[in-house]
Amino acid sequence: MSAVLFFIAAIGALAGAIGVVTLRNPFYSVLALVCHLVALAALFLLLRAEFVAAAQVVVYAGAVMVLYVFVVAYVGGGEEYQAGAALRVLGPLFALALAVELCIAMLGSALSGIGGKGAPYVRGFGTPREIGRLFLTSYLFPFELASLLLLVAAIGAVVLARRRRGLDDPELESRLLHTPRPVFTGTMAEAAGLPRIVPELIEAVRAGAELERTDAGS
Amino acid sequence: MIQFADVNYFEPWWAQIVKALVIFGIVFAVLPMLTVYERKLLGRFQGRYGPNRVGPFGLLQPLAEIVKFAVKEPFRPTTSIGFLFRVAPAIAILTAVAALAIIPWGNVQHIFGTRFGLYGIDVSVGPLYVFAMAGISFYGIMLGGWASGSKYSFLGSMRAAAQLISYEVSQGLALVGVVITSQTLSLTGIIHAQRGMWYIVPQLLGFLIFMVASFAETNRAPFDLVEADAELVGGYFTEYGGTGFVAYLFAEYVNMIVVSAIATTMFLGGWLIPGNPSIPGWIDPFIVAAKMMIFITLFIWIRATLPRLRYDQLMSFGWKILLPLATVNLLVTAIVVA
Repeated sequence: MSAVLFFIAAIGALAGAIGVVTLRNPFYSVLALVCHLVALAALFLLLRAEFVAAAQVVVYAGAVMVLYVFVVAYVGGGEEYQAGAALRVLGPLFALALAVELCIAMLGSALSGIGGKGAPYVRGFGTPREIGRLFLTSYLFPFELASLLLLVAAIGAVVLARRRRGLDDPELESRLLHTPRPVFTGTMAEAAGLPRIVPELIEAVRAGAELERTDAGS
Repeated sequence: MIQFADVNYFEPWWAQIVKALVIFGIVFAVLPMLTVYERKLLGRFQGRYGPNRVGPFGLLQPLAEIVKFAVKEPFRPTTSIGFLFRVAPAIAILTAVAALAIIPWGNVQHIFGTRFGLYGIDVSVGPLYVFAMAGISFYGIMLGGWASGSKYSFLGSMRAAAQLISYEVSQGLALVGVVITSQTLSLTGIIHAQRGMWYIVPQLLGFLIFMVASFAETNRAPFDLVEADAELVGGYFTEYGGTGFVAYLFAEYVNMIVVSAIATTMFLGGWLIPGNPSIPGWIDPFIVAAKMMIFITLFIWIRATLPRLRYDQLMSFGWKILLPLATVNLLVTAIVVA
């Protein structure tokens, strides 16, 4: 039974991984990556690592990939990215280097894992309790280091996404928000008797802001 | 020591299959009645009768509707993507049903000398399983909206993406407080730990945060921006008719049941009743169901009472109020328990 499940999950993981790099449409690439990650979670489950499997789905498939899908669905569908000449040469080289490295690592173990029965199952293995204990005892330093890295990334995202000062005049923006429409077209502003903003006025406001900025600059 | 389930820990293999069929059958028998319940209650809230034409008191209304939906011609827009358009509702309903598996309906019972747990499985990761399923069910909504090839559907699914991610965090953090207090992730373990006091008392803030976030996670009013009919026609399922629409509808109701069950388990002590009198085990599921009905009625009540939020209100509420509150709740709980 577990062998059948293993092959289903392994084929799913491989097919997903191949799909990511071969599919032309970025949206389908992302979906293939989701399939790959879910299949990986199934493999973790077969190894009795329940917590890792759940975390894999919650964090990667459920949160990270959602953002990928979000972004690709919004901005995707543009023209295809053409790799430069240097990248076209370097890409396969790096892939080859990685493949050789993996082969060395695998053959270096003399394939002893194929004949063996694997490590025995210890009760409690893979449960959140055991993983938490390991995180806070044997692997405390890498754990804290990873948290620090994530914190740096989060702060970096906030800094990068922050509205830069001096680019936009918020007052000007709010004044421009009232897009003018021809008279007697039944705008809410007309109904409420608000003063209508005419295009010439906006031009004047913009010119004034430009003037102020150059004044402040000089 | 609480027994974590290695799956099939003490149950024969056929018991798993029987339990799966029974849970699935009962829930899907109750679902149509739930739609009638919601519509009748909404009707009363709005000073009208609600459905009352088909069968006694209109109870057979869902039967008529299911027949109508089932015999509809399945058609799709020319701009849609056929494969994903068909798969998406299936993902939504599949993950919703899968989440039903870990709901504890009752304690372990001795029936004909064999021990049965009145739950699908008791996984050691407990609520994380529900979150994993919720994470995948998002793709049902997202793909459905995207593959429909219509602007309204697309906007609905985009809103779903942002909303589900925002409120999932607070929902999870609110449950961590309970987990810290009970020192276990197993749902039956959490119920056993509430023998002294239900966690709604020490974790009142966590309970409130969880309920608010759950309204957003199940796309129910007042957080139903995803399917806001005044702005988006029907949101992500605008282009769906017939069985695809029913799949989405039922997925929403199953999600509501799951969330109610999790709230019952985590905060209302599951099958426990105050004073812990010794009662026969077969009553357990009815106690759980009665507690769940409180939450389901609350869902409907809120829908009839509160107006829909604006989108920026939804986002700022989730990130600026709910998330800090959940974090503070978690910190205070951790300090108190430690």
